[in-house]
Amino acid sequence: MAVDRHHIENFLYREARLMDENAYDDWLALWADEALYWVPANDDDIDPQRHVSIVYEDKTRLEDRIARLKSGAAYAQDPKSRLRRVIANIEIEEGDNGEVTVYSNFNLTELRRSQQRTFAGRTIHKLRPHDASFQITYKKVLLVNNDEVISNMTFLI
Amino acid sequence: MKNGHAKLDYNDFVKEDRVHGRMYTDSDVYQEELDKIFHRGWVYVGHANEIPNPGDFRATTIGTQSIIMVRDESGQVQLLMNRCTHRANAVCQVERGNTKMFRCAYHGWTFRNNGDLQGVTYHDRYGEWFRKEDFGLRKVPRMGMYRGFVFGSLSPVGITLDEHLGQPVKEQLDLFIDLSPEGELDVTAGIHKYGYRANWKFQIENSMDGYHPNFVHQTFFTNIQHRTGAKLTGLFASSSNNLTRDLGNGHVMLDYRPYNRENSRRVQELLPTRPGGKEYLDAMVARHGEKHAEEILTAGGTHMLIFPNLVLIGVHIRVIRPVTVDQTEVFLYPTLLKGVPAAVNAARLRGHESFYGPAGGGATDDLEMFERNQIGLSARVDPWLVLARGFQQERLDVDGTVVGQVTDELTQRSIWRQWKKVMSQDGDTAARRGKPRQLTAAAGGRG
Repeated sequence: MAVDRHHIENFLYREARLMDENAYDDWLALWADEALYWVPANDDDIDPQRHVSIVYEDKTRLEDRIARLKSGAAYAQDPKSRLRRVIANIEIEEGDNGEVTVYSNFNLTELRRSQQRTFAGRTIHKLRPHDASFQITYKKVLLVNNDEVISNMTFLI
Repeated sequence: MKNGHAKLDYNDFVKEDRVHGRMYTDSDVYQEELDKIFHRGWVYVGHANEIPNPGDFRATTIGTQSIIMVRDESGQVQLLMNRCTHRANAVCQVERGNTKMFRCAYHGWTFRNNGDLQGVTYHDRYGEWFRKEDFGLRKVPRMGMYRGFVFGSLSPVGITLDEHLGQPVKEQLDLFIDLSPEGELDVTAGIHKYGYRANWKFQIENSMDGYHPNFVHQTFFTNIQHRTGAKLTGLFASSSNNLTRDLGNGHVMLDYRPYNRENSRRVQELLPTRPGGKEYLDAMVARHGEKHAEEILTAGGTHMLIFPNLVLIGVHIRVIRPVTVDQTEVFLYPTLLKGVPAAVNAARLRGHESFYGPAGGGATDDLEMFERNQIGLSARVDPWLVLARGFQQERLDVDGTVVGQVTDELTQRSIWRQWKKVMSQDGDTAARRGKPRQLTAAAGGRG
């Protein structure tokens, strides 16, 4: 079956919008049960078993992250970040059974407490067909500034 | 002081049970802190295990001064000022790496990794007065080490590192390190680097604050309770038998051993059920004997501030880096244990990440508190911060340290007592900065 590029792009754009709008539950629902969400620290290619990550989470940890953000007591998101991001440079690799690996770049602007910041990076998604759309089984975010000082990055990236 | 400001008498601003907000907002006070606390006293620089091989280096800071911690060809750790002795170009541009020499790109001078000047380009134009041995990279005047923890002092005189730390601090360091069955930490697992827009002292005070966790970190405790049924809020209730402890010289800790001892059977039963846990427990017993191994595992490390900039909490080494009076950077180095199964170290990292780092579910809420603090300080009708909690109930423990209940502000009071002591010392640092070098006079130059 040929990969429908438009279909995949729509999925990434929807995910971006849900993150931008802090739509926590809807974003969590995009993930498969055997999820891995990974944001390496200090470098793009590290061994997560012996090097610290900014985020290295399975579905359980991801659920905890969302429960916390929704609780009203996650002060790092009180007030919440205002976010808008652009997803581009999308490249798609076909796998078996309709699974795809998608490479994309993002440019994200965040505003919080009158301070505006920019984040940028490359994202690697592994997506599996699910119902009429996809589920995320793996997402790795390579931040341009993953070896720099980063203040409060508790919004979704 | 500079700018014609009258020198402050810190007795007017730091009382036994409260502190004046100006101590967090005044740029002149901040400059004096750099001079007296960071650029004179003992400051934590790094861990020798970050640079295990000859030539390995780390660029870092003491206070706001750029330095290089490097292991030279003979295996010795050196603390070098990151500044060419010619015209002050920084000789090291990257945070970490391995090199046999540092080369100044400006005019091509080269220095061996022990700091010695190796080569000077077009040497002939200097004349006979120029001796290479006079122009090695300057060293941090004093360096000291305890079990791999490297400290530096930019003052050539002062108390020894041994006197600065004292026995109670060394005992806590031992508990942190001896969680490794080989008695050695692996500090090559990377760094969480975060920053916040508030004064550096908020981070050290809060690191030793047993009153805030149940409020600032309730989301964290709620998740743990949801997953495991464990109610950890009891550790930080006013009914808890956990302690705040003053270890002397501004070094303080939260002491969880009372709670952990009551629950030590749980630790002993749980550990072997975790991946690699049985093997780890056996290695600890083989190394330390059953009784001491149990003591170490029950303590589970430490929760301590070594004044002014080093904190040990959980699995990590935390370094506080002041940037300006209202801007701070914090580096967290999660440690691995040598001699344990890989799964044990992976679990240390996963546990650390759940709370710490720029996207973590705990420390980020602390940073938010610090920034709210700095905003609050702008409202000055009543400028005081109250540190009186448990003030009347401090008591002397059998080992000579002073203790309070875990929610008491004993730790903050002890930090401020040391702060005032250091800040009230003679302010004449000019003599320490060194006289201009006499270079060419002996050769009859113009000087």
